[in-house]
Amino acid sequence: MRNPKLGRRALLKYTVIYVAAAAVMFVSLFPFLWMISTSFKPTSETFTRIPRLIPKNPTLDNYKMVLGETMIPKYFLNSLYVAVLTTAISIIVASLGAYGFSRFRFPGRTPALIMILGVQMFPSQVIIIPLFIVMKNLALLNTHKSLLVSYTTFTLPLTVWMLKGFFDEIPRELEEAALIDGCSKLGAFTKIVLPLSLQGIVASAIFAFIGAWNEFMFAMTFINLEELKTMPVGLTSFFGRFTVEWNPLMAASVLFTIPSLIFFALVQHNLARGLVAGAVKG
Amino acid sequence: MQKQVAGLHKNVGRASPRPASKSLLREIKKNWIAYLFILPAMVGIFAVILVPLVQAIVISFKRYYILDILREDPPFVGLANYAAILSDPQFWYSLKITVWFTFACVALTMLFGLLIAILLDQDFPGKDIVAVSVLVPWVIPRVASSILWKWIYDDQFGILNYMLSKIGLKSFASFPWLSRAGSAFWAVIIVVVWQSVPFIAVSLLAGLKTIPNEVYEAAEIDGAGFWQKTTLISIPMLRNLITILIVMSTIWDFKVFDQMFVMTEGGPAGSTMVLGIYTWMMAFGRLQMGLASALAMIMFVLVMIVTVIYLKLLMREETL
Repeated sequence: MRNPKLGRRALLKYTVIYVAAAAVMFVSLFPFLWMISTSFKPTSETFTRIPRLIPKNPTLDNYKMVLGETMIPKYFLNSLYVAVLTTAISIIVASLGAYGFSRFRFPGRTPALIMILGVQMFPSQVIIIPLFIVMKNLALLNTHKSLLVSYTTFTLPLTVWMLKGFFDEIPRELEEAALIDGCSKLGAFTKIVLPLSLQGIVASAIFAFIGAWNEFMFAMTFINLEELKTMPVGLTSFFGRFTVEWNPLMAASVLFTIPSLIFFALVQHNLARGLVAGAVKG
Repeated sequence: MQKQVAGLHKNVGRASPRPASKSLLREIKKNWIAYLFILPAMVGIFAVILVPLVQAIVISFKRYYILDILREDPPFVGLANYAAILSDPQFWYSLKITVWFTFACVALTMLFGLLIAILLDQDFPGKDIVAVSVLVPWVIPRVASSILWKWIYDDQFGILNYMLSKIGLKSFASFPWLSRAGSAFWAVIIVVVWQSVPFIAVSLLAGLKTIPNEVYEAAEIDGAGFWQKTTLISIPMLRNLITILIVMSTIWDFKVFDQMFVMTEGGPAGSTMVLGIYTWMMAFGRLQMGLASALAMIMFVLVMIVTVIYLKLLMREETL
C-alpha cells in the first residue's frame, strides 16, 4: 500500500468489486424483499402511486386471510405430503441403485448409466400425454398417487447420479474389511456406506424434495379437484381473472417459499456437487 | 483430499478387466447382486419414462382426439399428424421463438453467471453475504417467482414501472409489460435468467476454485492484469465446464413451461407460445393427443440432438 500507484489500483479494484457486488445484491434480493414487503402491507399501501419497501402500517391480515379463509393451507399440506413421500421413496430406490453402479462393474453398466443421464434431459411434454392416458385408464387421475409415481421416477436420475458420486468417494477397503468379517453385501451397504455418506443423502434428498415441491405441469394436468391440488397449481388458480389481490397472493408465495428456503440453507455448501454430473470435479 | 480418494477409486474401477464376450454370462452371474441393487430404479425408469416414450411415438401416428375415444379406438393415420404440424404456421412460429428464447436465455445466463462467479472468486470483506444473496432467486419456487414478477411488471402499480419513471423514463409510467408481444417475450426471459443465473454462477465458481493459485501468480509475475487472467486463464481452463453448462441450459430453456405459462399462458395472442406451451395446449386444451404427440416427438428429437452432444462431452470429461 505504500506504493501510491499500487494504492490507486487497489482502490479502483475495490470500487469495481463493491459496485458490482451492490448491483448483484440488489437484483438478487430486491424482488424477494418486495414479495415479503407486499405480504405485510394493507391493500391501501399496495395500490398507491408512491410505493415503499418498508410498510408504513405492517399487518398480518394477509397471512390471517390466506391461512384462515382460503384453501392455501390444504394446498400446502398436499404439497408437503407429495414431496416428503417422493423424497423418501426416491432416496431408498436411488441409494440402492447408486450403490450398484458405484461398487460393481457388470455388463450393461455403462449403457444403463448413459440412459439415466439421457432420460434426465427428456422434455416432460413427451411423457405427459401417454402418462395421462395411463393414469386415466388406471383411474389414478385426481389422486396423489399419480404425482408420487411420476415425481419419484423423474427425480431418480438426479438422485442416483448424485449418490453414486458420493459413494464413489468412500474407500472400498472399509467394506472389504467388513465383508471379510462376515458381513453381507447388503449389510456392508447399510452399516458402512450409508452412514458415511449421510451428507450426500441429505443433499440428494433435498434436491428430490425441491423438485417435487416445485413441479407444476404434471400437477396441473393430473389433478383438478380443489382439495387435492398442490401449492403451485393452487397458487395459480388463486388468481382472480380480473381482480388480483396481490397482498394475500404474496403472503401465500412467501409461505410457499419457506420450505425450500430452509432446505437450501441446509445444503448451501453442497449445491454445485453432483448436479453438473461431476463436471465440477476438475 | 476428497479428490484424491475419488481418483484412487477411479483407478480401482478401471483396473477391473472388461468382460470378453465368451465370459459374459459368467460376468453377469458373478455380479447378480448388482442387478438386484439397480433393479427398482431401472424398473421405475422403464415403466414411467421409457414405456410412455414408446407410447408417445405410437400415439403420434394416430388420430387421437380424446372425445372420440369413447366411441372408437383411435385409428392409425400414418404421417398425417406430422404433415399437419409441419404445415401449421403456428408450429413454425413457435419453433422460431423457442429457439430465440433459448438463445437469449442461455447467452444472458452464461454472461451474468460468469461475471458473478468471477466476482465471488475475488477476496473482499462481505463476500459471504453477496454469495448467499446470489442464491435467493434459485430458492424461490418457479411458480411463486413467476407470480412475484407478474406483480413487479404490473402496469399500474408495479414497482418496475415506478422505478423506471423515477429515473426519468416517463414513457414507462404505465407500460403493460405482459400484454404486448415483444415486451412479454423479454419479460419472461428476464425472469428465467434471474432464476437460472445462481446455479450457473455456483457451478462456475466451483470450477474457478479448482484452478491453482500458482497459475495466476505465475501470470501476475509475467505482468498479466485482471482481464488477461480472466480471458487467457480462467475461461480457457473452464472451457469444458462452460460447454457442459451451455448445453444443459440450452436443454432446460428449450423446454420452458412454468414461467411462461404462469406469466403469459402463451399470450398475448399466441406471441409467446413456445413449443413447450403449444404442445401442452394441443394435448390438454384442444385435446388433440395425436397432434400433440407429434409435436412432442419433434421437441424430443430436437432435445435429444443436444443431449447426445451433452453426453459426448460428459464422457470425454470423466469415466462413468
